[in-house]
Amino acid sequence: MHMTTPGRWQALVALGTAATLTLTACAGTGGTTAPATAKKVDVSTTVPSDPVTLTLAYSNDPPTKTLVDAFTKLHPNVTIKPQMTPFNDYVKSIKLSMSSDSAPDIAQYNPGAMNSLVPAGLILDLGPWSKAYGWDGKFPPASLEVLSSDKAAKRFGTGGLYAAPGALSVVGVYYNKEILSKAGVKDVPKTLGEFEAALAKVKGAGQTPLSLGALQVGGFHLWNALLNVTGDVKAYRSWVYGEPGGTIENPGAQKATKMLMDWADKGYFPESANATADADALANFSKGKSAFLVTGNWAATTLETEMKENVGFFLMPSESTTPLNVASGASVAYAISAKSKYPNVAAAFLDFLSSPEAAKIEFDGGFMPVDTKAELGATGLRGDIAKAFTPVAQNNGIVPFPDYASPGMIDKLTPGVQGLISKKMTADDFLRSLQESWDGHHGS
Amino acid sequence: MARDLTTSISPPRATSARGGERAAGSRRVRRPHWRGGRARGWLYVFPALAVYLGFAIWPALNTLRLSFLNWDGILPATSAGLDNYIKIFRDSALYEAILHSLVLIVFFSFIPICVGLFMTALLMGKVRRGMTFFRIVFFLPQVLPLVAVGITWRWLYSDTGVVNQLLDLVGLGGITRAWLGDYQLALVALGFIGTWAMSGLCMMLFLAGAQKIDPSLYEAATLDGANSWRQFLHVTLPGVRKEITIAGVITTIAALASFDLVFTTTNGGPAGQTNVPALLVYRLAFNEGDIGGASALAVVLTVLVIAVVSAIRYFTRDES
Repeated sequence: MHMTTPGRWQALVALGTAATLTLTACAGTGGTTAPATAKKVDVSTTVPSDPVTLTLAYSNDPPTKTLVDAFTKLHPNVTIKPQMTPFNDYVKSIKLSMSSDSAPDIAQYNPGAMNSLVPAGLILDLGPWSKAYGWDGKFPPASLEVLSSDKAAKRFGTGGLYAAPGALSVVGVYYNKEILSKAGVKDVPKTLGEFEAALAKVKGAGQTPLSLGALQVGGFHLWNALLNVTGDVKAYRSWVYGEPGGTIENPGAQKATKMLMDWADKGYFPESANATADADALANFSKGKSAFLVTGNWAATTLETEMKENVGFFLMPSESTTPLNVASGASVAYAISAKSKYPNVAAAFLDFLSSPEAAKIEFDGGFMPVDTKAELGATGLRGDIAKAFTPVAQNNGIVPFPDYASPGMIDKLTPGVQGLISKKMTADDFLRSLQESWDGHHGS
Repeated sequence: MARDLTTSISPPRATSARGGERAAGSRRVRRPHWRGGRARGWLYVFPALAVYLGFAIWPALNTLRLSFLNWDGILPATSAGLDNYIKIFRDSALYEAILHSLVLIVFFSFIPICVGLFMTALLMGKVRRGMTFFRIVFFLPQVLPLVAVGITWRWLYSDTGVVNQLLDLVGLGGITRAWLGDYQLALVALGFIGTWAMSGLCMMLFLAGAQKIDPSLYEAATLDGANSWRQFLHVTLPGVRKEITIAGVITTIAALASFDLVFTTTNGGPAGQTNVPALLVYRLAFNEGDIGGASALAVVLTVLVIAVVSAIRYFTRDES
């Protein structure tokens, strides 16, 4: 009957109370921690020979794991423990884990999710290492620009460098060779006009010209690709970087927006685009349900497996025959925690990313290498991508995606493009909604 | 609450049931025993209470606190006063989202309750064999994670999906479309996924309630010459009144606080036509890093849920 003596239940209550207090203490902290003060680091480019263990948090695999393996092979005394988290969970949790006491030494950088770590002083300004290693000459400048920001992490392309890129991506146009030749399109379009003519021909042949995943990011990636060739690169960059006075309400963006609406009107992509996820658009294209797909080189591995020789790639063509060599792209970049005990070793890993050995790994992982001069010897689809990408990188023409411009921008871009497609939004309204989000973050 | 809990598990009932010979002894130890029972009652409640306080009440209070702060999740928070609330109420997106979730109540709550009642009327007292089969089939949507449900329905609703194939088959090829991508109909299409998911739950609740009804009531009604419809109206329906309230409350909360289904099917699209408040909370917190604003919106959503649920309980209260 008497299961618990008073003494025991009191102990239990005490235990439970303690547990509750611990729980609530956990829930209550955060926000009260003072920003970590920048500690003095002796910058060095040599990797010590003592055993060193680093942790690396990342969400993109490949190329991370293989890069880590190659680096530790070069430096056997260094162990890097990889901590993989799927992307959606990574962007939600990385801020907290970087501010915890057991922060990873190196973390894959995501500007949207992590830029509040910059003002908090939780990730290192890599400026000293950049100078010591000469990263300006090793990484494409545009790829470093996006990873630089002021102390408040509001303006990009200026201030300190907070991450180094390990692999680059680029957005362009994939095409189905068989469908194009059947529709009578002989050459790969060289100008935007030729591209539109090809779309019309495919449509005329009773085929769907474009697959479009406007449910997610595919819609605004298409808009972005058009904007890259109709708009002024400088104006676009200054807008995405958050430079004072930046605006997207400009003639170039108007033109790109109207072109997208025109394509929707002419039925160049299916009416179901607004309900199509990116993965479904990719699947439709790979099954031969459309002639073109506008997306990044991250889709190359899948498409090559599915379509073999039947697929090719070109950059969104410029309006004139002289190529602009501008394309949107991002990078798989890595930042170093301010709490790391071995920032010099971590920086050596970042430097390794720009090496020719790393270039091979990055390319094999489906990305474009940081070392733009690396001899890749690629053929087929990846050869196409490398051929299109090299002049862009050398022209310093990689521009960031528009959702970098402000934290809420992606929630204006996706619904906005959906509104354009379903003809419920005008070009002016769309650009206004983007600019409102920009003004809200940067101040008009 | 404490009293209720203590009396319900305190021993007197058990003691008296065991026979009279102990009655005297029981009376003698009654006071100390009652005290011990009270303490023991708390002990029994404690684990659940601790979990509830730690994981439900405390976070809720924290959300309320955060709603008055400017906080990005990392830097020290600063006081925002009522700014977060003012900002939210000035944004027309909130009103649209609330309107959408009110429309969803029709599909998540009203229609499933009707369907549930209909199924109950059909199954009650008539089906003997295969009842388990029906229960499992209709309850299955409740067991599946809504994320899986969402992705499955996205395919069912796609332009070449099963829904359109069926429409083609019955000669309605003219109205086929990508339902979730249709500017006007996406919300309705989304609502029907909710109907599908919630109807089984309602049916189960009503069946359980209807089984409590004294069979003699049905016999009496039959003797009085009541047909099936009359029996349903005057015997079954009053008998499951409480269950209807419960079903109404549960499904309405699901409609107002819906998130996973919307997130996986339309993510608010096309062009914001299926935005719901919980989706805006998510975006503020995780896309924009505005924890204060997200908390304020969550508080507003909670108040809305409480208001609507209270209204349901008020209108379905037992007059007697």
